[in-house]
Amino acid sequence: MSLHIHLQSLRTPSRVLLENLTLEVPAGTVHTVMGPSGSGKSSLLAAVCGTLDAGLQFAGRITLNGLRIDNLPTPARRVGLLLQDDLLFAHMTVQENLLFAVPKGPKAQRHGHVMQALIDIEMQDFSDADPATLSGGQRARVALARALLAQPQALLLDEPFSKLDMRLRERMRALVFGAIAKRGIAALLVTHDSADIANPRQCTHA
Amino acid sequence: MSFHPSLFSRFASRSFAAGLAALVLVPLAWSLFGAIAAAWDLAAWQALLTQPQLQTALGLSLWTGLASSALAWAGAAVLLSGRWGSKVPAMLALPHAAFAIGVVLLVSPSGWFLRLGANLWGGVGGVGLESPPDWPTTQDPWGIGLIVVLALKEMVFLLWMGLAVLQRPDFSRRLRLEMQLAQTMGYSERAAWWRVGWPQLSSRLVAPLGAVLAYSVSVVDVALVIGPTAPPTLGVLAWQWLQDADPKTQAQGAAAAWLLLAVSALVVAGVVFIHRAVFKPWARARLTRGAAPLTAQEHHTLALRQPKAAAWALLAVYSAVGLALGLASVTGVWLFPALWPQTWTPGAWAAVASDGDTLWSSVWLGLLSASAATVWVLLVWEWWPLRWRRDVRGAMLLALIFLPLLLPAALWALGLHRLALEWGWDASASGVWLAHTLSVVPYVALALYGPLQGFDPRLRAVVATLGHGRWAFVWRVQWPLLRGAIAAAFAVGFAVSVAQYLPTLYVGAGRFDTVTTQAVALSSGGQRSLMAAYAALQWVLPVVVFALAAWVGRARRFGSVGFQAGPAAELG
Repeated sequence: MSLHIHLQSLRTPSRVLLENLTLEVPAGTVHTVMGPSGSGKSSLLAAVCGTLDAGLQFAGRITLNGLRIDNLPTPARRVGLLLQDDLLFAHMTVQENLLFAVPKGPKAQRHGHVMQALIDIEMQDFSDADPATLSGGQRARVALARALLAQPQALLLDEPFSKLDMRLRERMRALVFGAIAKRGIAALLVTHDSADIANPRQCTHA
Repeated sequence: MSFHPSLFSRFASRSFAAGLAALVLVPLAWSLFGAIAAAWDLAAWQALLTQPQLQTALGLSLWTGLASSALAWAGAAVLLSGRWGSKVPAMLALPHAAFAIGVVLLVSPSGWFLRLGANLWGGVGGVGLESPPDWPTTQDPWGIGLIVVLALKEMVFLLWMGLAVLQRPDFSRRLRLEMQLAQTMGYSERAAWWRVGWPQLSSRLVAPLGAVLAYSVSVVDVALVIGPTAPPTLGVLAWQWLQDADPKTQAQGAAAAWLLLAVSALVVAGVVFIHRAVFKPWARARLTRGAAPLTAQEHHTLALRQPKAAAWALLAVYSAVGLALGLASVTGVWLFPALWPQTWTPGAWAAVASDGDTLWSSVWLGLLSASAATVWVLLVWEWWPLRWRRDVRGAMLLALIFLPLLLPAALWALGLHRLALEWGWDASASGVWLAHTLSVVPYVALALYGPLQGFDPRLRAVVATLGHGRWAFVWRVQWPLLRGAIAAAFAVGFAVSVAQYLPTLYVGAGRFDTVTTQAVALSSGGQRSLMAAYAALQWVLPVVVFALAAWVGRARRFGSVGFQAGPAAELG
């Protein structure tokens, strides 16, 4: 599974944010994009995700496993998203948040996937918990599990560790990168922290 | 955010959005056009300008409107400084006309306050009172009663609007941090509020203040109950002329309503100008004067004393009005100056119960118009493309939706009547429902605008990346998360519908009695207990719906889990 981005330009009506950028992200690896604020890093992720603001224009081509996705609606792209904030749904329990992401199928099977995900993130005792009662690290892990349960073929990470303290950041980084490698997902990471770079050879400065 | 739909689905979606908007905007624009056309009569303008009452009536409208709005603004500012709002929905639910009737029951010459005075001191001002004095305590020629009623009612409206802004997560979080920051620089909590919090909040309340001004300058039902009579305010005069059988007098009434609109627009523009040109520079100059040193005790007391006292005073007035309505509705013989009635009777309530159609009309009109308005606002918000929201189409949509708030009540009722006549819906249930719905839409939109605008847009992206489409986002995430706000907006819509007086009377051609039309009609007669019963119902109906809305919109209770996480349970 690989993500290929050939970007001719990404622009607002008055300004070019990015141009002539080509990225190849092999399966199971994390490609890091760094750069100053306002350089278009997060907009690049939005272009891949299909959630660009109405004022932004993307010209180019994005393929995921050989399939062109830049002309598909977001739900059909099979691209997951992890942001700085976990954005758990406040009106759902942890289990319901996870069930929301599991594709349709037999009920027992869907619940099985959720229980396995909770075990993977060591939170099996929290299935009925209110997300508001969880700590920052726990919420981040639930958000990761939720993104993975949707079975994405690519994962977009927009500074997902920046709100965590140093110890949690390291553990969360290991958890996310491990899941990406294990599942063979192509991941694009936007960050300001050079410690987040998984592989210096897979790093682009915007 | 756009989600890259195909050309066809984009076309279908935009056609749906335009069609949906047209459902309300076409009749709304039709009504506005009808109101404009009504003033196209030069002879009517000439007749209006020669009216001897015109100058005094217009002066009274301006005086009462400006004074009541200024008092409402000042009161709301003090109350908001304490972020007090626990009883606001119950006070908001009380329609203006019912509140005015309650105040009349308290302060009229045979009212409870004068009876209390007569019993406590054997008279008022040293004068023994054996019978109700001939004092102008209601319908006074200076409009003081009208000013007090409007100020107390509009204060609650501004308070509600301010709380809606303060409860927006993005705004409240930032404001709290800024206030804390200001306190670390030596400002008391109170000073931090007036120098950091209020300037930011008040800028967002200028539009609601404009609506309050326009309403207060042109109000009819409240002025009929407690306003001056010789002459009345221009709003009442316009309404009286519009009801005349002579078409020439009707045209004169339409011209008077238009004159009120022009005056209201000038007043609103003047207030906006003063806010920008005078208040803001003055506030900015104050901001940089530096902090005065205060003791810890001063910090605490100064922050809390004023808003607490204002809140208690407001609650006391509303409670007294409620008690007066309840008491008067079961009063039999009550000779002056006895403090309590000599006999009690449930006769008024029996009469109300036997007139089930009136109660039922209020209930079904309220439920159907509030439902239609709430669903319409939610659907238009969802389907109106983001690009349209940011350009002239979004501005036009908002202008059309909120324009009825700025129109004089008589002019708005006139437009609705023209619409009903031309569509063949006059004197019909569907016509009255349409008139109520169009009148309710701006308030529901106002109630939902903040919560919808403050909704985190990233949640839509998250839902889409989890493989779900628009309906899943709307049904399973956005609307459930906004359940409280949606239920509150519905309750506001219901309360607005129950309070409709002129549209019900005009479009229904007098064939549809509601608790409001009955209460206002009875206010000029001698059936005190029946009037009080209908006025009390005007309050009870919305309060019940507000209570149900609070129950429906309550936060979800999650079940207990094996152990609750906290900082100590951090697992990384």
